[in-house]
Amino acid sequence: MGTATGIIRALNSGIKHLAVKRFTLRYPEEKLKFVGDGYQYDPTAGVGIAGYKGRHMLFHDKCTGCQLCAIACEGVAEAIAMVKVPEEWKHNKKSIMPQIDYGKCVFCGLCVDACPFYALYMTNDYELSSFTKEALIYTPSQLQIKPEVKQDVDIVIDDRGATHG
Amino acid sequence: MSVIAPKFRLGYFLKSLTDNIFWIIVLLTLVGIPAIMIVLFFIDLPVLDGVLLTPFLAFTMMFHPELAVPVVKSLLYSDFFRIAAFPGFGFAALLAAGTIFAERKLLAKLQLRVGPFYCGKFEGILQLMADGLKLISKEIIIPAKADKPIFWTAPVLFVATAAAFVSLIPVAPGWVVADLDVGLLAVFAIIGFFPIITILSAWSANSKFPFIGGIRALHQMVSFEIPLILSLLGVVILTGTLNLSEIVESQSNYWFIAFLPIGAIVFFISMLAELERIPFDLPEAESEIVAGWLTEFSGMIYGLVQLGSYLKLYAFAALFVVLFLGGWQGPMVVPPFPAEIITHGIEAGPITVQVPGLPITTQEMLNGTLWFTLKTVAVIFFILIPRGVFPRIRIDMLLSIGWNKLIALAFINIFIALGLLYAGVLGPGGLL
Amino acid sequence: MTARLPPGLQLEKVDDRIMTLNVGPQHPGSGHMRLIIKVDGDYIVSCDPDPGYVHRGEEKMAEYRNYITNIPHLERPVIHDSCNILYPYCLGVEELLGLEVPERAKYVRVIASELNRFTYTLYWLGIYGIFLGHSTMFMWPMGDREFAIDLLEKLTGARVTHSYFVPGGVRNDAPANFEDVCLRQINYLEKRLKTYADIFYDNPILIARTEKTGVLSREDAIRLGTTGTVLRASGVDYDVRTKEPYDVYDELDVHTNVLKNGDSYDRSKTPWLDMLESCNIIRQALEKMPKSGSVRVKLKPNPKGGNDEVYKRVESGRGSLGVYIVSRSKPEPYRVKLSVGSFRNLICMPYLLKGEKLGNMPAVYWSLNYWPVEADR
Repeated sequence: MGTATGIIRALNSGIKHLAVKRFTLRYPEEKLKFVGDGYQYDPTAGVGIAGYKGRHMLFHDKCTGCQLCAIACEGVAEAIAMVKVPEEWKHNKKSIMPQIDYGKCVFCGLCVDACPFYALYMTNDYELSSFTKEALIYTPSQLQIKPEVKQDVDIVIDDRGATHG
Repeated sequence: MSVIAPKFRLGYFLKSLTDNIFWIIVLLTLVGIPAIMIVLFFIDLPVLDGVLLTPFLAFTMMFHPELAVPVVKSLLYSDFFRIAAFPGFGFAALLAAGTIFAERKLLAKLQLRVGPFYCGKFEGILQLMADGLKLISKEIIIPAKADKPIFWTAPVLFVATAAAFVSLIPVAPGWVVADLDVGLLAVFAIIGFFPIITILSAWSANSKFPFIGGIRALHQMVSFEIPLILSLLGVVILTGTLNLSEIVESQSNYWFIAFLPIGAIVFFISMLAELERIPFDLPEAESEIVAGWLTEFSGMIYGLVQLGSYLKLYAFAALFVVLFLGGWQGPMVVPPFPAEIITHGIEAGPITVQVPGLPITTQEMLNGTLWFTLKTVAVIFFILIPRGVFPRIRIDMLLSIGWNKLIALAFINIFIALGLLYAGVLGPGGLL
Repeated sequence: MTARLPPGLQLEKVDDRIMTLNVGPQHPGSGHMRLIIKVDGDYIVSCDPDPGYVHRGEEKMAEYRNYITNIPHLERPVIHDSCNILYPYCLGVEELLGLEVPERAKYVRVIASELNRFTYTLYWLGIYGIFLGHSTMFMWPMGDREFAIDLLEKLTGARVTHSYFVPGGVRNDAPANFEDVCLRQINYLEKRLKTYADIFYDNPILIARTEKTGVLSREDAIRLGTTGTVLRASGVDYDVRTKEPYDVYDELDVHTNVLKNGDSYDRSKTPWLDMLESCNIIRQALEKMPKSGSVRVKLKPNPKGGNDEVYKRVESGRGSLGVYIVSRSKPEPYRVKLSVGSFRNLICMPYLLKGEKLGNMPAVYWSLNYWPVEADR
């Protein structure tokens, strides 16, 4: 009789779950919300600021071309290379800035930790797919643009179950 | 190499249109019309009011609309319609397709997710069509050392046997494809074919995992046939006949499940085992033996096997309804056909159109079909739920259940039936 | 056979009765590992696990990277339990460099580590369910895992491979209202975990299938050197968090779940009980955590250790995970050795599977809490 009650309890639990709300996130019609603006690092305090590790953003008015981000990435993924830019900045004598290859980047954020000039941040943008491998290499001017990230839904818990709403 | 759609050019589009139209016209005239003529040569054409209905006469229906309804009615009662559409293969295939879709959606809801969602505007309702098209377009790969004739014919045999099983089930009073006096016995003769077909398809694939799966399927199906047959003896004892339509007729006052619940449970469990549904899906155990005896099937052959499986599911559920739940019996909920339309005709504004031979289907047939479908859907619901709730059972546990516990319960059921019969409670000449 | 074989090879005698099954990497029932199983009818005669399919040379690669750049590498063997595999590494490097981790960082580390235990164990439980043919037990843990992964995304910025722990603390502080969101989702996750009891752990078919199979007795468990939930399911009360506490585990109340029988059922139940325990640990840590404070100690550029070696252990989802670091006054470590729970538990598999029925193979194999990628490193 123990087996019979066990079977009936299992069936009961299964049928009760037919009334619980469905949990699936309807991507790409709905996209998840993020906390904040992306992972950033504060060199004076020596600690990062919580955020999503998505595509990088480079501030051209702060980058001095010191190559510390490229050196940090050398041991991890070798995704950052310094290239010459046609701009002239006072603080960037050699006129070089990082170019990031997203085919190799693992989004660990150690480059952001390495930058001492508040020039490299990460944003919430994660939809980076393209049709060719060459299009994945983002030049410094492409990295300058702040992405528009659509954020709609978050996890909502109520008494009939949890959903993305 | 990425496949991006080429740019649209009007010249190419018109060329493709004319190509398609050309081929359609060629196929129709050179192949289609001769085929229709040959087929019409062999089918019996119906006789209306003493006049044989030839294809020419059928075209005159455009000018004599009052002939339309009798023609349709005579087509409905012909044998061909009965086999192909209702209650035969078409009805079963429609319910089977609906079952597959409902199973995916039901399981998804139980598992807190969305099932098919994107095919078709409303919650993925065209998913089955997409799957069917996908299977047709895939290449059928046959292992090099497989036994090719048997490998090709085994799935076809599977579907044919399942369809033969479907043909014995009565859906409404008088609506059954094959009305046999030993209907129940014929059902078991046909069920006895399934293990043979399974072991043939497993053996012909000439590979290890199908071999193990086929042996397990053989063990499972053979060991559960005995409780299946024994659990029905209770019903046969109470009615005294093997004809399925008469079994349904004798349940007009009560359903057999009220008096033989143990038999119904034994039949249900054996049914799950014959259908290879979870928790008894060892022959297809995915985590141990890749896909069991279905491993080497790909493309439309796999589609045929799935069709056969779900036809079998419908047929077994329908058999359960016929034997234990009263078949098509139920209170009359269909309103009767309004009598003025038969005598007067339909009022359409100023004119009254006389349409002779109008009630195409009788009230009993519609009512019976409605109740039968509702009950079958309920039984199918209870077959689908264990898939989300139980893990797979092991082969030695399965054999001990089939040979020990279920046979004992089936015998207890027979004794209960005999007791009820000889106490004069049920059966012919009884109280109820 | 007149040809002479090269030395070291031998001819295998083929028996007509015994069939060799290759439960190999391309199999829905094996994870990414190969098991060579010899079957006699339905009984397994011998089982030969063949790990190494996903070996990448993590330990060798660690010798060419400095202490910070090693972090994204060393977390890859178990991508969803990445905090736990970096934990002993960070503790070891902190001892080598002489760093003192702030209080709040220790509590955040404990919370991240326990959240990673959820993500790993739910993934493992999902695969255990599907190995036994229970598709609902695959979907529910994967869906419930979203709560823990969502919290980790808010905290660390990535869903898996968080790269969150560094020598000296953690990389960033928790965002603004993390405590409330965490508490709410952990409470709901605990409610969901308790519904697994009815449908899985009290399911008579599961009990009949996994009880008394693959029994590992207490003496054998100690003798073979097993660890983690496999050890605790055989009756040995050993959990690295309580016996060798690290960080703030000595201030938290951790209850160890010990089950007696040592069969597959107990081994599948212990991680679930551990998860219910993790909910309590996270709640305690959230209460006791200092509300503000620094979470990272500033490192000098290119930190070097002296001529020293250190070994630290942590309780991960699979068992005790140890990292042994040897440094020779250079920015790169001289040797990093990972001693993982999966590889230690792998030794049981040939012993446990001999004489079992073929139907019990997935139940016993996966109940050893085995993660193939970690075992191969």
